[in-house]
Amino acid sequence: MNHNPQSSDGKHDDDSALSDFLASLMDYAPTIPDELVEHYLAKSGFQCPDVRLIRLVAVATQKFVAEVASDALQHCKARQAAVVKDKREKQQKDKRLILTMDDLQSHCASIFIGVWK
Amino acid sequence: MRKSRSKRKSNIHLQQPTINPRDFQFMITKVAVSQICKSVGFRRSRVSALETLTLVATKYLETLVKSAASFSNAASRTQSNILDLTNALHDMSLQVGFMGASTLYDHNNNCLLKSSVLESLSDFVSSANEIPFAKPIERAKERESEEVNAVPGSFQERGGHIPEWLPRFPDVGGTNENCDKRVYGEQLWENSSSVLGCQIDGFEEKRCGSNNVGKLPKGRSRIKFRVNNGGGTRVGLNGISCNNVFGQCKDEEEAEPVAVCEKSVKSEEKHILVYKRRKKRC
Repeated sequence: MNHNPQSSDGKHDDDSALSDFLASLMDYAPTIPDELVEHYLAKSGFQCPDVRLIRLVAVATQKFVAEVASDALQHCKARQAAVVKDKREKQQKDKRLILTMDDLQSHCASIFIGVWK
Repeated sequence: MRKSRSKRKSNIHLQQPTINPRDFQFMITKVAVSQICKSVGFRRSRVSALETLTLVATKYLETLVKSAASFSNAASRTQSNILDLTNALHDMSLQVGFMGASTLYDHNNNCLLKSSVLESLSDFVSSANEIPFAKPIERAKERESEEVNAVPGSFQERGGHIPEWLPRFPDVGGTNENCDKRVYGEQLWENSSSVLGCQIDGFEEKRCGSNNVGKLPKGRSRIKFRVNNGGGTRVGLNGISCNNVFGQCKDEEEAEPVAVCEKSVKSEEKHILVYKRRKKRC
């Protein structure tokens, strides 16, 4: 009996949070453009007239790519930290952050994506 | 080393290959992925690594969307909603893990809209800097104009696969009539009065041979048949060959039936298929 009004308030909060999030998506411009996402949606059979869901898919993909890239960056920095000998090399380290297949392979293997050179 | 301007221009013309649609969308995706990598902190990248990451992103997007579509189809829907998308996100995130993954299918405590995946996406949107795409992409606006100008029963409404000279589909009664019957009681479709009425009317029209039968809403193009030799002269009825010929055929010169099928796509163009019969050589 006492749980019911609390659960209904909780649901209202969740619904409002979700609706605020979806509304904020319209103001946020994801890096992957809507036209490109719509092309992939049409290619895969996803039908939805709501533009917010298209933005949600674009944001989810952007977040995934950002996670993979940031993990690869961590690998790259860890690899370079092990090689550092002189101070000069430390200064040049920031300029040499290059995305390589080795860094990608290590992270993709952890999330069960097979990447071969 | 700098080349002269004329040499630069000639090199540019030589290096412009034709781009396939697949390559075009891949290149756009590569630009977006490189922007994301730059925002994370990378300054340079190997071409192979960037292309691999682009391919992974493409596959992720396609897999996410396909699983959302399959969730909606499993619920007897053609259009996906946020719940389908949330379920698809859960499927994609299970390998990495997220809060509440162990109680996903708990009937008592599960609420898809309270998913932690959606919360993390919300945090990402609020915290990450907005990185708009580098260049604007033009959107095709042809479909909108076609939908606005659609006339009932016309080419736009029925689709291009149905020729205009075919009669319209029969009216299956008024929609209000069917809705009322659904509200007040179920009825089999084949027993509805509109279907029975159409069947009886169709039979009566065929028997009576009324003047309206056979009249088409639009005139059909003229069809002629020609029996002809390969070189343009007439021969017997052995072998058939088909050629594309642009021209007119005069009825006065032909004594035998002529097979010419004319199909006018536009009023200005006429493609004529000539079916010719050739003599068999023993």
